Amino acid sequence: MNQQNAPLRVGILFSKTGVTSGIESSQLQGTLLAIEEINGAGGIGGRELQAVYYDPCSSPNTYKALAEKLMANDGVRVILGCYMSSERKAVLPVVERANGLLFYPTLYEGFEYSPNVIYTGAAPNQNSVQLAEYMMREFGSRVYMVGSDYIYPYESNRIMSDLLLERGGEKVGERYLKLNAAANEFKDVFADIKNKKPDFIFSTVVGQATEFFYRAYADAELDPATMPIASLTTSETEVRQMSDGIATGHITAATYFQSIDSENNRRCVAKAKHRFGDDTVTNMCWEAAYFQTYLLASALSYVGNDSTQQLIPALLNTEFLAPQGMVKIDAENHHAYLTPRIGRVRHDGQFDILHEAKQPVKPDPYLVEHSLQDWSIRVNA
Amino acid sequence: MKSASGTSRLLRNLRSLRVVVFHPSDHDGEEIIRQLQRIGCQVKAFWPPLEKLPEETDLVFLAVRPEVIGQDFAWLKAEETPPLIAVVNYENPTVVEAVINVNAQGVLASPVKSFGLLTSMVVARQLAAKDRDQAKQIERFEQRLNGIRKLTKAKGILMQTRGISEDQAYEIIRDQAMSKRVTTEEIATAIINANEILGFKGKSTNVIRDVDFLDKRSKPSGN
Repeated sequence: MNQQNAPLRVGILFSKTGVTSGIESSQLQGTLLAIEEINGAGGIGGRELQAVYYDPCSSPNTYKALAEKLMANDGVRVILGCYMSSERKAVLPVVERANGLLFYPTLYEGFEYSPNVIYTGAAPNQNSVQLAEYMMREFGSRVYMVGSDYIYPYESNRIMSDLLLERGGEKVGERYLKLNAAANEFKDVFADIKNKKPDFIFSTVVGQATEFFYRAYADAELDPATMPIASLTTSETEVRQMSDGIATGHITAATYFQSIDSENNRRCVAKAKHRFGDDTVTNMCWEAAYFQTYLLASALSYVGNDSTQQLIPALLNTEFLAPQGMVKIDAENHHAYLTPRIGRVRHDGQFDILHEAKQPVKPDPYLVEHSLQDWSIRVNA
Repeated sequence: MKSASGTSRLLRNLRSLRVVVFHPSDHDGEEIIRQLQRIGCQVKAFWPPLEKLPEETDLVFLAVRPEVIGQDFAWLKAEETPPLIAVVNYENPTVVEAVINVNAQGVLASPVKSFGLLTSMVVARQLAAKDRDQAKQIERFEQRLNGIRKLTKAKGILMQTRGISEDQAYEIIRDQAMSKRVTTEEIATAIINANEILGFKGKSTNVIRDVDFLDKRSKPSGN
């Protein structure tokens, strides 16, 4: 096969196993769906976009080894992947050394820029501020914080604490549990929560522990109508992993919900269900994985090869109509303009969208001091 | 700026340094250890960080990782803590605050490169030496200030109890110090102590307590 129609290979690293395999599998599905659609529509100027996939098992070390393998052995220059920050941090030096390109489709804590990364998940100014504003207005400002034991929850809680202080609020508790925490470890947390009686619970629990956390809430017989869990990470996929609708009534801030009522989104969701089965759900990380693959494909088509140096200019400032609405990559910081939303879990596991920004919000990953004012003027009250 | 000879001493000493590296055994940790060995330092590496520093440690590298944030190591707060260089792989405020909390005199960014490590070491040690010198100097100043305060107070006691001028009071103290071959500060202390004891016994209105006296001095229009 000559160079003209040889496939363009792209590396894909999302975990099918391990603590965050649920959400990462959905990112994998979003990526594969987009690749199949792109190839179905003629590929990259007639060349097939070929996925080279490995399972990194939710382990940063495996992520790193596989990124090296992709770049050194498989001749891949672009990787779509990573969920947790620790996974991205493990892959980053490999990609930078090879002057490759990583597309990272996950909300994270910000404070990073690499010329070799495109960030398509929310920065804190696109979800934390909105969640704090909504929760404090609707429920009050005495907050109990529970997170998984890694950097994203630490930093999210720092931001939330600052926002609380700005409103004269109070952090009544802060707990971190291991990523592989067992179900009974959350019992203790809720004993303390019942004692402290916060206005709401702020959660950055991720992965399989999410289900244990909501289960423990239900077992503690608390009422989401008066003391809900407000999360940045509990999406449709985590909700589906829970049984008996235990997440119903709880709140999540995200830049995408499956229930977004637009023609474009309905079409994408239908295609996902058609490809992966009727019980497939989409979520914010699925959507970022999906649209970033399209961003890559459009840049590849424009440039005609996978050289990072040429792809970057083609990626920056290019608008794309994603399932969440219009997105584009900021030329200065390589993060995405996204549309913040607040949703409440329904009985069917989908979200009622309670609020939605009027327009995409510019990413500001180096914002140390967030202010509630920034958001309230943009809210559709 | 310090004299050039000070800087060169810091460089000359590099080879004799006993360096402790608290870093996971990964690419960065290995790079640091290899570079330290190239430079010629004696290196010991541990992870997680030890509760107690090995004896005679001259320099510490500490990986400020999310998993050790919030952990308190007693040696960080000890007076003679050697200079510390933080190794960071995140740059968000949570981690930066942790770097401040461990009192780092230098920072290495991940992925660590061999280049730049030596300069970080020298700068960190120079900053630490400067800190130590300044701390000593401040201690000396405090001692002197304390002596001056005592002298002022003792003079005040003499002036009030004997109805003499400040100069005369000072002369008495100085003469006493010279004849007894002690410092004026010691004489002043003796006067203050004697005044407290005598004042207490006789309930004399002439007793001047430290606070009273200083208040009068600093706020002449007081009351």
